[in-house]
Amino acid sequence: MTGAPPSPGSISVAPITLSHYLLLAALLFCIGLYGAISRKNAIGILMALELVFNAVNITLVAAGRFRPAPDAVGQLFALFVIAAAAAESVLGLAIILAIYRRRVVVNADEMDLMKH
Amino acid sequence: MQAALFYAISAALLVSAGLVVTSRNIFHAALWLAVALFAVAALYVMLGAYFLAAVQVLIYIGAVVVLAIFVINLTRSVVGAPVTLSRRWVIPAALVSALTACLIAVALLRSGVPPGAVASTAPGAAPGAAPNAAGQDWTSALGRHLLGDFVIPFELVSVLLLAALIAAIAIVGKDREDEK
Repeated sequence: MTGAPPSPGSISVAPITLSHYLLLAALLFCIGLYGAISRKNAIGILMALELVFNAVNITLVAAGRFRPAPDAVGQLFALFVIAAAAAESVLGLAIILAIYRRRVVVNADEMDLMKH
Repeated sequence: MQAALFYAISAALLVSAGLVVTSRNIFHAALWLAVALFAVAALYVMLGAYFLAAVQVLIYIGAVVVLAIFVINLTRSVVGAPVTLSRRWVIPAALVSALTACLIAVALLRSGVPPGAVASTAPGAAPGAAPNAAGQDWTSALGRHLLGDFVIPFELVSVLLLAALIAAIAIVGKDREDEK
């Protein structure tokens, strides 16, 4: 989006504000939360968690961008979240794979070895 | 133009995210996840965060989704067979999700964020604007932060990634030795 600022003659659409991004991120967060609770498959739960991470990242980047004196710290925090999410995803999938090899289950409610 | 693009990307993002959590086929869910993550990358471009958009495509779509698809294929015997995913607690999950949405909406309204007052620094109003008065672009500012005042977290993240890598090899690799 490196174009020119909106010219006065262009059609007047309501500009996209920070609230738009925050609302979108909130909706995405809730969709991910619903998936994380309602999924049985452990890989499905991890994928829903990725949606939650992305909702948080949108919030961080938008908040950093729309500050009165915008700086890159919001993007920086989002970068750290992406790194942590990648580590979480690798470990989670490795654990799912290890459990599947031992017990041939992928559903989270059947992983009840520690209950007994 | 900016607004139409934002609404189009948002609609694509929300629809694909909904399909990620409701699709009965886990493989389809993983592919919809790639679409949703790409829409998020497009949002980053709209916000001027070009480096973050590239990182999003490389790390999330290129690594995380591919890894998820690998694990999906490794944890089922027949690749082509559609795995019907059962769901549990649909009503409580929807309830918790809706209540969280209400909570965030209330927090948004009660916070000091003025609903429309930030439009002056919108990406459309100040495209690719310098993050500060020094005339840098966003990516170079990000690099300055990463190797400047945030260098210790940056190095800690690299240790975290290394630890995760070793742990993943230890978890999955040890199992294979046990089978021999």
